[in-house]
Amino acid sequence: MRTFAKLFGRSPFVPLRTHMDKASECVAKAAQAIDHFLAGEFEHLAELAEFVSRLEHEADRVKNDIRNHLPKGMFLPIDRANLLEILATQDSIADKAENIAILLTFKHMPVAQAIRADFRLFVDKNLEAVQAVREVVHHLDELMESGFGGAEADRVKGMVEGVALKEHEVDVIQRRLLKTMLAREADFTYGEFFLWTRLIQQVADLSNLSEKLGNMIRMTLEIK
Amino acid sequence: MEATTVLIGLTILFGFYMAWNIGANDVANAMGTSVGSGALTLRRAVLVAAVLEFSGAFLVGAAVTDTLRSKLFDTSLLDPLTLGCGMIASLLAAGVWLQIASYFGWPVSTTHSIVGAVVGFGCVAVGVNEIEWGEVGKIASSWVVSPLMAGAVSYILFRIILVKVFYKKNPVAAAHRITPPLVFIVLTVMLSVTGLKGLKGMWPRMGIEAPAPALIWLAAVLIGVTGYLIAKKMLSRAHVDEHPENNHLLNSYVARGLEKAGMHLRRVADTSEGVIQDRAVALLEQVDALAADARHTAMQLPPTNEFREVERIFSYLQILTACFVAFAHGANDVANAIGPMAGALEAFRDGAVNAKAAVPLWLLALGGVGIIIGLATWGWRVIETVGKRITELTPTRGFCAEFGAALTILVASVFGLPVSTTHTLVGAILGVGLARGIGALNLTTMRDIVASWLVTIPAGAGLAIVFYFILRAIFIP
Repeated sequence: MRTFAKLFGRSPFVPLRTHMDKASECVAKAAQAIDHFLAGEFEHLAELAEFVSRLEHEADRVKNDIRNHLPKGMFLPIDRANLLEILATQDSIADKAENIAILLTFKHMPVAQAIRADFRLFVDKNLEAVQAVREVVHHLDELMESGFGGAEADRVKGMVEGVALKEHEVDVIQRRLLKTMLAREADFTYGEFFLWTRLIQQVADLSNLSEKLGNMIRMTLEIK
Repeated sequence: MEATTVLIGLTILFGFYMAWNIGANDVANAMGTSVGSGALTLRRAVLVAAVLEFSGAFLVGAAVTDTLRSKLFDTSLLDPLTLGCGMIASLLAAGVWLQIASYFGWPVSTTHSIVGAVVGFGCVAVGVNEIEWGEVGKIASSWVVSPLMAGAVSYILFRIILVKVFYKKNPVAAAHRITPPLVFIVLTVMLSVTGLKGLKGMWPRMGIEAPAPALIWLAAVLIGVTGYLIAKKMLSRAHVDEHPENNHLLNSYVARGLEKAGMHLRRVADTSEGVIQDRAVALLEQVDALAADARHTAMQLPPTNEFREVERIFSYLQILTACFVAFAHGANDVANAIGPMAGALEAFRDGAVNAKAAVPLWLLALGGVGIIIGLATWGWRVIETVGKRITELTPTRGFCAEFGAALTILVASVFGLPVSTTHTLVGAILGVGLARGIGALNLTTMRDIVASWLVTIPAGAGLAIVFYFILRAIFIP
């Protein structure tokens, strides 16, 4: 009688989605911090950074819970190592969001008019990439139901390509931003320049990680 | 004379306890999957199980009973009293061992315990050399083969359902198409297996001459066709949502075609000049907009509802296979209680060992009733618990696993091989898991099952020997 209860482990796909939701919540809060930063409202930034840290910790708890329920003998419809890597990448997204929120608290610096518009666009594209890959993670349930193949796999593949496209757009804007900044390097102090490049890199990592995550999910698909 | 009465009482008591145990614990294996997937409510599952377990035990149970009663060693070598005491000891040993195993939560099988116990008793009563090791080996190998066979059948069936239903652009319509043929296959295969071999012992007892195999086969096909037609009729009444506009856009050819069109237009726009270039650019914008719309629609359509509908359709198929699992389980497992009981009762009543005599019908009925009482008093609770724990198994998965298991158990039953229902079903579920059907399966359970095979035989045998010597000391002067 207990044999069956023991045979079935807890499916990791629903907690995986929860974890991704937590991670993208972190990103949304970090985006809010960027909004305040661009508007020159520095007083809420520390508070927001604190909040993002707390969310990130919650995501960690979900992550550890998933790991605890996936002992070595667990047989999954996708490779166990692959699944753990997907989880780790999702977690890195949450970590990046925390880094961004904290970077913003370091210095109250003005946003140069020359990079303002591009930076806004740059952040938005990164957010879109995270949002798009979150949709992909939400499709894991349906993928599971349909055995990771067929029409559903085609759909997910298309979505992953969409994420990759966003990442490419981010790259283009990032290069443009850096070019603009270098052309006006006299307008920045050393510290500001350093902080800006750090910030841009961390934000760009959001879409890089999203693309990586999307590709890992694509690896699970069964497409001939 | 008085001792014999006591012994007959003990036989019935322990045999009945064994049947009760099977009903209380093992029926959950057959029905728990259906309750877990929501195909059957608990009340219906118990009713279906009661009816079909009894029919299985009553109609097909004799073959396996014969194996356990008289095929493991030559019973005519023993005097009736010794045989009777040995059979009681075997029942008691299996019962005690099951109690110990369930206390520790080991995945031990009723079948394995009783076979181990009877063989153990045989070893001390007639000697190791007199045991029909060929027969024992056949049974033991069936314990390895049955999970493998069930797993293979379930794997193949689930792959077929994946490709034919879940991979399709419109899974609901595909499920509607595939259901009637599946009903036909399930009914025809199961009924011909039962009819051709399983009922062999039943015809003469009912005073009917056994019908020609062709006739049985024809009847099975006819019932299959009837099932096909009924399924078709029921499904045609159900509403099919074709989503014509969405499916057209969902089509990956559409997306790919638009992508290619855009690529070619871009090439035209890059290489041409003047009016042609202007028109190409305008067209390119239109194509891009169309492609974006197509992608948007494809992503917005939630497929969850479609899959839910597919599962709903398959829940009817799963009820069908659950019935066969219950039937097959009754046919195979009733012997675990009735086999030794029949041997003992004959010995006491007739005072002579007659291995050739048919298993009396009333005994099969008694076993069936014992199973039902076990189910009614305790088993339903176990079904509920098991059902709650295995919600992972949706009707499509459950259908495949149950079909594989039911077919395997039924085939084993008609060959008189006592196999473990639990282990067979575990094999079937692993088959579905290998086809990427189940979220998470704990493979350490497999290790525990293999370990339980290795432990149960000596444990059952050892206990049977101990109880046999105790009974002999008391009842045999």
